[in-house]
Amino acid sequence: MKRILVWDIPTRIGHWLLVTAFILTFITGDSEVQRLRHVAAGYSVAGILVFRVFWGIAGTRYARFASFMFSPREVVAYLGGLLKGKPSHWLGHNPAGSYAIFTLILLGFATVASGIADYAEVGGEWMETAHDVLSYTMLGMVIFHVLGVIVGSLAHHENLVRSMFNGYKQGESEEAIESGKAFWAIAPLALAILASLLVFIT
Amino acid sequence: MNTKKICMALLFMAGTSSVFAADTPASLVTSYAAEAAKETPGFTPSATRGNNFFTREWGVSHKMPNCTACHGKDLTADGKHVITDKRIAPVSPAVNPERFTNYKKVEKWFKRNCTEVIGRECTAAEKADFIQFIIQEVKS
Repeated sequence: MKRILVWDIPTRIGHWLLVTAFILTFITGDSEVQRLRHVAAGYSVAGILVFRVFWGIAGTRYARFASFMFSPREVVAYLGGLLKGKPSHWLGHNPAGSYAIFTLILLGFATVASGIADYAEVGGEWMETAHDVLSYTMLGMVIFHVLGVIVGSLAHHENLVRSMFNGYKQGESEEAIESGKAFWAIAPLALAILASLLVFIT
Repeated sequence: MNTKKICMALLFMAGTSSVFAADTPASLVTSYAAEAAKETPGFTPSATRGNNFFTREWGVSHKMPNCTACHGKDLTADGKHVITDKRIAPVSPAVNPERFTNYKKVEKWFKRNCTEVIGRECTAAEKADFIQFIIQEVKS
């Protein structure tokens, strides 16, 4: 076992940009004065998620969706192992975590879509309620994700938060990704900014 | 699911939604006034106080100093959001019958707007006065 690169740079940048944009949407969500900032942050969330979907297809090994497609049975097996104190170890997303990721991506798009509809005054009160329910469901999923990270970190004696900052985990050298893909880090950043600029034309 | 069940479900939904939307501006004044009377015995809603409330500059928000910043002074005309430039439907129930017919919606917007414009949540007395003002403005 040695220190190997698991999360490429665009994945990490995209992750923390998403965290930032998500927090901004919640800070500005209940305000009319902050309304434009809320909309801009919401567009950013969508922009970052568009990148994440692209990177889920074209990214490095552990960022690709195909690497964390698990059946519900595998999730049950993983959670069962966790309860017994013998969870199976995964270098990328574990089976339970993978569902949190997919759900968060889908909820993110759905929340932004309902927000865009609200802003265009389409769908009336029903849409306003939908946006509220979706955003709080997403917040719930974020909390679930963070709890999963804490439990996973404790169960496997590894600091998963630090890994999302520096990209490294303990593993075998042949399991490492070959490159951090630093060049592509511009993509989530650019999409986050460009998407937020949509606020000026909507 | 058969047709009968679907009809029953639709009827039930129609029934419950009409219960939620059963409020009128007058009934809202009555219930807010009753709530205010608990704090201030003998409270009666005042359109004059409501008018002052609507136009008063609270000095809390720079961009939204008062209600009229967005809603305009003419209650029967469209307002314009000072931040987003979006049209705001008229406040007056006389030209916009949807106004003040849904307690939950009224509470949502009082909470949201009072917090930012006044710097705190509005009291039941202020809400009663304001809706009273809206109703009387329409009649006069």
